[in-house]
Amino acid sequence: MTPETHVAPTRPEPHRPTATGEMYPQAIDLDVVRAAHKAQYEQREEIIADGNVAAAIAALQMWRAVIFPGFPITPSTKWIETVASRIAGDAANRKRVKLLEAEHAVADYMVGAAASCRDLIVATATSSVGLDHMTETTRSLGASGLGNVMIVDVYRATANFPLCIEGDPSDTLAHRDDGFIQVCARGKQQIYDTMLQMPCLGMHPDVLTPTMPGYYGIKDSHRSGRLLVEADRDVHAWQDEWIVPCPLPGLINGDTAFGNCVTSRHFQGFKWSQKERLARVLDLLPEIGRSFEKKFGRPGLAYYDEVGFPEDGRVDVAVVGMGPDFGTFEFLRPAFADSRSVSVAGVAMRLLTPFPRAALRDRLAGAKVVLVVNQAHHSGRGHLTLDVVDALSDLDQPPVVVSAFAGMGGANVSEETWEAMLDHARLALAGHRLPPYALFHEGVRT
Amino acid sequence: MSGYKEIALRDSCFRPGSTLCPGCMEATTFQNVGRVTDNGKKTIVTIGTSCAEVSTMAFPDVVAWGRGEEPPDDFSRSFSIIHNVFESAPTLAESVRDMSDVLTEYGALKYPVQVMATSGDGGALAIGLRSLLHTIHRRTRVTILVLVNEIFANTGFQFSPATTPFAETSTTPVGAAQPGNPSSPLDYIHLAIAAGAQLVAQVSPSHSKLFVKTMERAFACTEGTAVVFVPAPCISGWKFDDGQAIHIGELGAQVGAYPMFVWERGKGGSVKDCPQAAADRPRLEDFLGTQRRFHHLVMPDPERGGFVTRTGQEETMVRLKEWTQKNVERLYGLAELK
Repeated sequence: MTPETHVAPTRPEPHRPTATGEMYPQAIDLDVVRAAHKAQYEQREEIIADGNVAAAIAALQMWRAVIFPGFPITPSTKWIETVASRIAGDAANRKRVKLLEAEHAVADYMVGAAASCRDLIVATATSSVGLDHMTETTRSLGASGLGNVMIVDVYRATANFPLCIEGDPSDTLAHRDDGFIQVCARGKQQIYDTMLQMPCLGMHPDVLTPTMPGYYGIKDSHRSGRLLVEADRDVHAWQDEWIVPCPLPGLINGDTAFGNCVTSRHFQGFKWSQKERLARVLDLLPEIGRSFEKKFGRPGLAYYDEVGFPEDGRVDVAVVGMGPDFGTFEFLRPAFADSRSVSVAGVAMRLLTPFPRAALRDRLAGAKVVLVVNQAHHSGRGHLTLDVVDALSDLDQPPVVVSAFAGMGGANVSEETWEAMLDHARLALAGHRLPPYALFHEGVRT
Repeated sequence: MSGYKEIALRDSCFRPGSTLCPGCMEATTFQNVGRVTDNGKKTIVTIGTSCAEVSTMAFPDVVAWGRGEEPPDDFSRSFSIIHNVFESAPTLAESVRDMSDVLTEYGALKYPVQVMATSGDGGALAIGLRSLLHTIHRRTRVTILVLVNEIFANTGFQFSPATTPFAETSTTPVGAAQPGNPSSPLDYIHLAIAAGAQLVAQVSPSHSKLFVKTMERAFACTEGTAVVFVPAPCISGWKFDDGQAIHIGELGAQVGAYPMFVWERGKGGSVKDCPQAAADRPRLEDFLGTQRRFHHLVMPDPERGGFVTRTGQEETMVRLKEWTQKNVERLYGLAELK
């Protein structure tokens, strides 16, 4: 049945006012959408998947995700191909892939689709210059209140002179101010689990902010490993505990306007509200993470993953990094500590935006030296370094912060490189005054 | 199809209180389109950055959209509008259409929804040409309204790809080295047809019945995109007195600057109120003389009234008339396409 064959309704719909216009709650029957969902998995299964497939499966399992806009992505990331393949393989599946002509068009499309029905999730994936091409609209989306938008970013550098497709978080870190909630995942399982949790955060009525889960290109996007997938019905049951009907009207179920041209006073108030909504993420993210762990038995969302901190938090060197290369540090940490007779701990950042400065401050307060490993191009000491220095600035006697760049351009941060960086940090431990930052590559300081 | 008088009595979703210039063709267009959309279907409009956007969506003082003084009890008369970025109105309309269709297919939405995108020619034909053509190419069942005032009016009356040759704009000024706009306009009607539009029209409220009926046909399209280019004489940018927009809109169509044209895929089309032979049309000079953007080319004729070519501008006028004739013949040719 096409829309043109409908008979116009004759009975008035109950409606009620909201802060952003009139709402007709009964215009869209979401129960029908939920009931029509075709399950990807009837029960928990262990499969082999790479990061892109893990992220695609999670998106497909959400009953609220019915349209997947996409562009082939530059450089290639096969998230949308995976979604398309699974939908095409099931004649009963009513979900749609929408292929558009550019990343900018994808972002624009997400605005309209998400605004049309604020209770349904609109997800896509991009990477590198693709994310840059979306920027005009991602910055609008960040302020839109459309928490049902999710852009999966596969981290890659953004330079085209020359082009490189290796994992480098320059893209996501260049978009810290777009207004999205940005969470880094590492490993297939964490990618899958993060995807399932992000809409619960973004669509929370106190937050209503789009989300940008991400993971490293190639290192995590293209390398396969074991993945535990949950039954769709369990995913739905858990998400439904967190995702409630949006309190504000959408284009279809409302008499409303988006994107008005406002006076300065309203704009100022709006920006204040946007900042407050983003700050609320800091309260909700751990709650959602704990709820996820309780339901599925795996760690849920957290500000960061940590390793090696004693109960009192006192260590000689604390490392702050992100991404899969942190795993190499975790592997060599005990041997390095023994061989150098120092205590070493570390955190791998997960919540990038908003930055969990208070929690990180408390975690690092007992360290003598904090080594921050930056993997993205930055004009100064590094994105992470500046945030860590800011977080520690509350302390009366903050640890010495040592800033390092390693793994830029997607290079593997080898054991030798980690050891070189940690030895560099030991110099600070011994009282040496170090330069604002140092570059490390293939085991040597350059 | 509804009767013209019946449509004229409907409740427009374009409300009083916009800050568009008094007598602006855009306001007249919206008032008329707004009445056409009062047809038992919920209306959703996507709007690109333009005069129309900044002048009608001001908040909290004025939001010049909505049906009725209060939100309607009847959902089918409810109205929503969204603005995103300069170039995105067609893509937004497509996404709204798709979401409505998907929900309908699921059985989750039982009410019909009609979707219209509106942009200026700067938004649709310059920065937004990608969005316009690809939405058409995907045969999206939306109506796209392009208000063609031949300039980026909202930002200071700069040249656009639709500017008439030799017109003065703020970025194609008239001087000793250049007689206004040096380039020919983009053939946007042909582009829309070639991209796969179901209905393509060039018509303004100056031809009121034709305009309203064309808009009704546009909203009734079920096989693809309907694109209506609305010649929109701009009081400030074309430099004429308020109250003249309807007259200039009509005269411009009659002289061949922007002939009325209605075409539908599979049926062909026609040019209205603009004979193919130049001798059968009003004089081009009399159209140019109504706007100060062409005053470097024409001047009042004290003897017979009307306007004549300024001394020294004869060659430019010949070239402009040649372009106008080609413009008319081009549309007659396009009308033959099926």
